[in-house]
Amino acid sequence: MSNQFAASRSAVRGKDLPGRRWRKASPLALGVALILVLFYSIIFVIPFGVSIWLSFQNWDFIDNPVYVGLANYGQALADPSFLHALRVTVEFSVAEIFLAVVLALLVALPLSRLKGAPQQVLLLAYYLPVIMPVIVSILLWEWLLYLPSGGVLNALLQNLGLPTQPFLNSPTEALWCIIVMVVWSYLGNSIVLSLAGINDVPESLLEAARLDGAGFVQQCRFIILPLLQPVLVYIVVTSVIGTVQMFEQFFLMSGPGNSTRNLAVYTYQLGFQSLNLGYGAAVSLIMFLMLLIATVFQVRRFQQSLTY
Amino acid sequence: MSTTTSTRNRQETASTWRSPGKWLPVAIFVVLGIVAIAMVYPFLWLVISSFKTSADIVTPPVQFFPRRWTFEGYRYVWEQTSLPRAYLNSVVLSAAIVISVLFTSSLGGFVFARLDFPGRDAIFYFILATTMVPFITLFIPLYLVMQHIGLVNTYWGVWLPAAVSSFGIFLCRQFIYGVPQDLYDAGKMDGCGDWANYVRITLPLIKPVLAAQAIFSFLSSFNLYLWPLVILHDQQLYTLPLILAQISQTQGINYEAMMTGSVLTSIPSLVVFIIFQRNFVRGIALTGLKA
Repeated sequence: MSNQFAASRSAVRGKDLPGRRWRKASPLALGVALILVLFYSIIFVIPFGVSIWLSFQNWDFIDNPVYVGLANYGQALADPSFLHALRVTVEFSVAEIFLAVVLALLVALPLSRLKGAPQQVLLLAYYLPVIMPVIVSILLWEWLLYLPSGGVLNALLQNLGLPTQPFLNSPTEALWCIIVMVVWSYLGNSIVLSLAGINDVPESLLEAARLDGAGFVQQCRFIILPLLQPVLVYIVVTSVIGTVQMFEQFFLMSGPGNSTRNLAVYTYQLGFQSLNLGYGAAVSLIMFLMLLIATVFQVRRFQQSLTY
Repeated sequence: MSTTTSTRNRQETASTWRSPGKWLPVAIFVVLGIVAIAMVYPFLWLVISSFKTSADIVTPPVQFFPRRWTFEGYRYVWEQTSLPRAYLNSVVLSAAIVISVLFTSSLGGFVFARLDFPGRDAIFYFILATTMVPFITLFIPLYLVMQHIGLVNTYWGVWLPAAVSSFGIFLCRQFIYGVPQDLYDAGKMDGCGDWANYVRITLPLIKPVLAAQAIFSFLSSFNLYLWPLVILHDQQLYTLPLILAQISQTQGINYEAMMTGSVLTSIPSLVVFIIFQRNFVRGIALTGLKA
């Protein structure tokens, strides 16, 4: 027991035999490991396995499941509803992330020139929407801002002499309404992350650039932005994972028909409304695979860009 | 003449970028301040609207201040809806989730960083890999599992999948790696076992990361919507987001109730935000956060 840590260090180097590792392991470590293995079996391994198994079955919750092979996957590729939900998901992710990153940089770059209390006050204001409960943001935008008659945004448009909009009642505008709301909700987060990245840029580099006559815009373009790349990749990767899974924004703020139905909502409907569990599982697994490929691809590209 | 002044202005601007003058931060503050007001404005509108009557809220012309101040909405949601009960449900559930997440993250982080046992790295990387699978892929079969072990329509069923945070374990492990090994060796000398090493040495040193995690885990558990919606059938057990969504979907939309309910729902998050605002900004930089 007393040379536990010495043992653990040599074990890391792989000098110990497995049997000795068992005997040397502390009861605490084994207990925690056991509980974690049990926990992840219940909430991850079994459900994930069931999901894969279900995707090869037809099951409506009532009759016995019927094995159908790859039919569910084949069905997805030919299903206009699935393809539409996929398009909504991708369009939303791309637009939301692009807007969020650009706006966050536009705010964070000048913000980094301020110090102390003014910077803090502004940060807190930008961060307020992030901490607001999602359901509150949804109700606020849907029933106060986007309301076609009596809503704040249309009143604003009218005052500016612009035509009023149907917002969520229009199949073409509804998705953009959700995009704008989500950008507003999470912008503070991207701003804080970008700002932290900008503050990490060594002052000596900026000083040198200034001596060489670089203005603020040039400093941003040639020094800050390239050094900010890891932070931006981080924002993009976490945003992809977050936006693809977004549910209640689409579930509660839906536009007419299926105009804003994304993959998350479609999976929910297949599972709990039309009780098509096998197909629902297949759709959700396709979604997982695409997310996995997108993430691996982004991280790879990022690592390549770091090597030069 | 106007062109010459504008060129001179531009020259001044260019020179001040190189050696920031006094008024430049002021100008930045003003512009960014307008952006900040635009972002906070919807929330102000919500708060003010909670003191309006339903008719007042939606009758054009839209105006910021109430035509008549009223607390009718607050009285209504408190007496006529299940919001008070949902409040209690949400607070208790979130507290339970925060406590279990903090405990399992710190203990798990400690075990993976400082102790050795067979399969340690395999288990750790597996836990990390689970974060790649979206909840949407798991929730239908997870419901079936919960049905099997009898947790459907219970708080335990809502709590269990959120009780451990994979990301939290990862974060704590990274932090505990930063704690000097000498401290633990000294602890050993003084006769500390693994548990004492965790409680007396590790916990006090990782307080900042735990504070950040407490905030984010509170906010995200307070926000839970899909999973409670699926697993809770009994109205009595509904959490705030579910009740609020229900109020907004009932026939004959009650704007007052919706706005007052929204304001009341925001209060716990706002309180946490105000108390911990210092930790917030540091915490996001620390954890990256996915709210």
